[in-house]
Amino acid sequence: MASKQFKNGVIAGLPVLLGYIPVGIAYAILAHQAGFGIWETCSLSVFVFAGASQMMAAGMYAQGAGLAAIIIATFILNLRHIIMSACILNRMGEAPLWKRLAAMFGTTDESFAVFTTEKRENCTLPFFAGVVVTTYLAWNAGTLLGAVLSDFLPEIITASLGIALYALFISLLVPKISGNLRLTALAVLTGLCNLLLCLVMESSWALIVSTLLCAFIGVFFVRDEDLGEEAQTNEA
Amino acid sequence: MRLEIALLVLGMTLVTYIPRALPALLLDKMKLSPRVERFLNLIPYTAMAALIFPGVLSVDAAQPLIGILGGLTALALAWRKCPLILCVLAAIGVDFVLYLFL
Repeated sequence: MASKQFKNGVIAGLPVLLGYIPVGIAYAILAHQAGFGIWETCSLSVFVFAGASQMMAAGMYAQGAGLAAIIIATFILNLRHIIMSACILNRMGEAPLWKRLAAMFGTTDESFAVFTTEKRENCTLPFFAGVVVTTYLAWNAGTLLGAVLSDFLPEIITASLGIALYALFISLLVPKISGNLRLTALAVLTGLCNLLLCLVMESSWALIVSTLLCAFIGVFFVRDEDLGEEAQTNEA
Repeated sequence: MRLEIALLVLGMTLVTYIPRALPALLLDKMKLSPRVERFLNLIPYTAMAALIFPGVLSVDAAQPLIGILGGLTALALAWRKCPLILCVLAAIGVDFVLYLFL
């Protein structure tokens, strides 16, 4: 049973490959330009496993930023994962603490998106572990490919793949809200709210504030039946 | 590997893992009220909307059309409930064609 769920998770993570390989390559190219060696570039992907943070770190290092500044910026950028891990754990149900602590190493925007749009009965720890294994391997494969082959890939290919992660988020979100006016309104409201907040604060803060603020507003106008099976699970 | 980079890796590993793991330590001990439960159930919708917009406009900072048309392609197909992988591949394909002409 657990191994079947794990396998389903591995499969559910596959579309992320399309996004992670090119972004991993882009990161490796940036890291190379910042003067990182192959093993330095790869060790960040192995231990940190956070694309946006790694890109930012390479960029800041290239501009001569100090270690403390880079580490503080990374922390701020990753605060959103507190919210995402909380959501994932809330759906996951009972599991030993050490397993949950290990699984949460794999919390990313993408594993969160794949896991929380799954049907409730699939939301188990082995399923999440499967998603994490696929995404982790894809990220590291992309990094290695980029570190080794960056000079040989045609630019039009890597450029065209830039849309992949956004397309993934859109394709996960839209079927969950299409045909439901209140959820669609909530998503549109959040996007606009984030746009406005981006004008007055760092985008990593804007993401956190708009996510929390709009979910809070949503509590007052989204109905339980909008959330379908999720609401029923809660009542049970 | 240079010592400076080893320290960078160590520091970044810690500040990335701590926010990820924190809820596992905290959530265990508290029972969530239905309101909070509902709030958490809405987070995936709002977090994903915020991840998409306005970021999608700057996929290619020099050419917003790349993000807009690629994004609309995924939107249109996903609205019709096409398979995930098809939506993603179609968006990539549209941008590939756009780059041929831009």
